[in-house]
Amino acid sequence: MSSALAGELRSILGDDGVLDRQLELHVYGKDSGITRGEPSVVAFPESTEDVVAVVKAAKRHGVSVVARGSGTGLAGGAVPLEPSLILALTRMNEIEVVDVENRSAWVGPGVINLDLSNHTYSDGLHFAPDPSSQSVCTIGGNIANNAGGLHCLSEGNTVNHVLALEVVTADGDVIELGGPAPDPIGLDLRAVMVGSEGTLGIVTRALIKLTPNPTAARTLLMSFRSVEDAAKTVSDVIAAGVIPAALEMMDRLMTVAVERFIDAGFPTDAEAVLLAEVSGHEAAVEAEAEIIRAIADDNNAIEARVASDAKERQRMWLGRKSAFGAIAQMNPDYYLHDTVVPRTKLVEMMRNIYEIAERHQITMLNVFHAGDGNLHPLMSFDASEEGVIERVKAAADELLAICVALGGSLSGEHGIGLEKRDSMGLVFNEYDLDAQARISEAFDPDGSMNPNKVLPSGSRCFDFGRPIPEGTWV
Amino acid sequence: MGLSVLDELPVAERDGLPEADHRLAPTSMDEAARLLDHASELGAQVLVWGGGTHQGMGYRVGPDIVLSCENLTSIVAYEPDDLTVVVEAGVGISVLEALLAEHDQTALLSEVPGIATVGGAIAAGVSGWRRSRFGPTRDRVLQATLVTGDGRVVTGGGRVVKNVTGYDLPRLATGSFGSLGLVAQVCLKLWPLPSTFRTVMVESPEAALDIAFRPMAILETGDGAWCYLGGTSQEVGEQSTALGEHFVDELEWPEPVSADVVVSIRVPPSELRSVLDGLGAGRPYVAQFGVGETTVGLDIGDIDLLPDLRTEVEDLGGALVVTEAPAELYEEFDPWGTPPQTLEIQQRLIARFDPRRVINPGRLPGRI
Ligand SMILES: Cc1cc2nc3c(=O)[nH]c(=O)nc-3n(C[C@H](O)[C@H](O)[C@H](O)COP(=O)(O)OP(=O)(O)OC[C@H]3O[C@@H](n4cnc5c(N)ncnc54)[C@H](O)[C@@H]3O)c2cc1C
Repeated sequence: MSSALAGELRSILGDDGVLDRQLELHVYGKDSGITRGEPSVVAFPESTEDVVAVVKAAKRHGVSVVARGSGTGLAGGAVPLEPSLILALTRMNEIEVVDVENRSAWVGPGVINLDLSNHTYSDGLHFAPDPSSQSVCTIGGNIANNAGGLHCLSEGNTVNHVLALEVVTADGDVIELGGPAPDPIGLDLRAVMVGSEGTLGIVTRALIKLTPNPTAARTLLMSFRSVEDAAKTVSDVIAAGVIPAALEMMDRLMTVAVERFIDAGFPTDAEAVLLAEVSGHEAAVEAEAEIIRAIADDNNAIEARVASDAKERQRMWLGRKSAFGAIAQMNPDYYLHDTVVPRTKLVEMMRNIYEIAERHQITMLNVFHAGDGNLHPLMSFDASEEGVIERVKAAADELLAICVALGGSLSGEHGIGLEKRDSMGLVFNEYDLDAQARISEAFDPDGSMNPNKVLPSGSRCFDFGRPIPEGTWV
Repeated sequence: MGLSVLDELPVAERDGLPEADHRLAPTSMDEAARLLDHASELGAQVLVWGGGTHQGMGYRVGPDIVLSCENLTSIVAYEPDDLTVVVEAGVGISVLEALLAEHDQTALLSEVPGIATVGGAIAAGVSGWRRSRFGPTRDRVLQATLVTGDGRVVTGGGRVVKNVTGYDLPRLATGSFGSLGLVAQVCLKLWPLPSTFRTVMVESPEAALDIAFRPMAILETGDGAWCYLGGTSQEVGEQSTALGEHFVDELEWPEPVSADVVVSIRVPPSELRSVLDGLGAGRPYVAQFGVGETTVGLDIGDIDLLPDLRTEVEDLGGALVVTEAPAELYEEFDPWGTPPQTLEIQQRLIARFDPRRVINPGRLPGRI
């Protein structure tokens, strides 16, 4: 079946647009999470028309379609679970037009996040979401996962920065959602397509909202004797009415790992380090940096200093962004968690994290977006060690449960994908899950777009509410 | 025989409710769910009523039942340190903002809300003028609980400021005009109020857009143009000097447009001036520079110019939407304009939340 499909795809995309040899397929069997699958075939479309043709061919052959950007997703969203075609969108990487006056740009889904910001830098504009993976991940992947990043505290996740989308549906229709003007009429399908992890359709073009580059910025490094003092500083800054552009925390295990990897200038004797950035108008950043510094002092900071120049500032951020590289040096494997709690529950959550790490005997490092309560406990381990995977999974489940008990949610930016699919029942009841399944059904009745992701099986319960009357045009 | 839910629920008392067989005001989501389930059984048409300030939008609904949100007025949870608040639909925007202001916070809803409710603003998808700096309302709806047309209570999103857990039902519900359900309860993301405000009169809004760094709003009316600054006192001081220092007041928002017919015109921001030029002088308007929206008031005799204007605006990728008009006008002039190309998917979605199409039926573009 799939070799017939591969043949058909070759006639559409040419020989170099299709992969179907075992070894090649293996590479596309996973993303940056921990689960693996096996695709039947990989297709590399170069245009919307290609995507339409591929989606229709897959449909004819009864093969589901899994979209893929750079494969940096951490929730298993791009993992093929059943006989699937991987639709790799990396060749659709054109920045079509930048409209400086309207602060927007039409881009292909395969454009690399950082490439867009670099491209528009001289126009004084950038794409605000800046995941740590921004030099490799695609904008299509950012849209599908509603990605966040360091600077999402003040600017919000990707959904706040998408004006319109061109999408190829499960039937192979091309639809446009949203538009260049504010408040397009009708239901806001654009908002639900963002974050849908490839389950509602394939994003083939996007109209991105660009953000003016700040005219001034200050970065502060603050170190503390306890995680509590650092977390209290985070709360106090927000309570003082200052919303920094970024507010990041690292615990001691993490700063030690980073310093071993590169010289970022982080103090390794402090239990916690905070990095804060305020940006905007020159007069504002000066005042806000001073407010933050004073709050850190009030919370017993060992040190609270403002980067003296651009070089020092870059070094601080390089340290933060190197966290994952540093981890990779420690052990062969890592599992990066992503949960979110109300900001006021940070201290309590951190205590629980350390307790769980201790009990399961797992090295757990923390580097996270403290300003919006978005935690990233990072477990470092060697998978070849007997029983370690089980311990990691048990610890991950416990973390989620506690997080939810504290009023939090399953994911702040990495998405649900495969990894957290079966935990959805922790935050949603059966009616809520059924409603989610109804959304997916309205776009993709046959479930052929990235099936078995986001929602646990059996979410759709037909006996809730009233049936759709016969003859309704649905 | 037991009494039907129609006889059990409190009768609505809010002024200005339209005529209907039943005008009811459930006191909880469960009561609302029972009412809607019953309406589905009967095949009755239900008009949801908040403050009534946005009822001029969309196709007319001839209701059998009016569901007033006047008894859904709880502030369910307010956590100032988390910058979140959970409220029921019928809470007045002015009531909410007064509470938040005690903690120097704001939900950034309409600056001149009148008697508008939170639920109404979200169902209608309207934003305040500060969206230029802080984004539209839908960016701040963190969680929404809907009572669907067939009486299910469903929640999407969560009470945290950053969340990608499941499909974004809260954003989808924003601007849905009840087609997916009564927007019964929401959690909103809040912002701290800046320590200093200033309203500065400017010659040219376009020039102000270039000079001011991300101001809260730049508005123009027939009387002039203003740049609204908010931030630290130093920042506001320096920016208002750069703008020419025609200091007006701390915060002075214009009166919303009032006329026989009011329309909202939405275009890519750079096209706003040419739209205003095309309108000619003498009509009341409030234009949002940097956003690309203007409301315009017209006399009933003036509406002949609307069809051509709509064509022009739609060609730019925008829309011309009626927000207020005498009932007869809706027969003559389509309140929404050309429906979106995705009507079929929208219809499939609505059928899964309101299968008998009881809440505000036919109100949305495409009469769905
Ligand atoms: C070291 C590291 C650091 C990271 N840091 C962050 C961070 O700070 N913040 C953050 O939010 N994330 C972070 N991530 C996660 C990841 O980079 C993001 O989720 C990113 O958005 C994924 O983009 P991608 O191109 O790699 O997508 P992929 O992994 O290829 O795909 C992700 C999902 O999107 C779907 N998809 C991809 N393209 C399309 C399309 N065009 N249409 C429809 N569906 C599509 C896929 O099916 C899949 O479900 C990090 C990952 C790594 C490895």
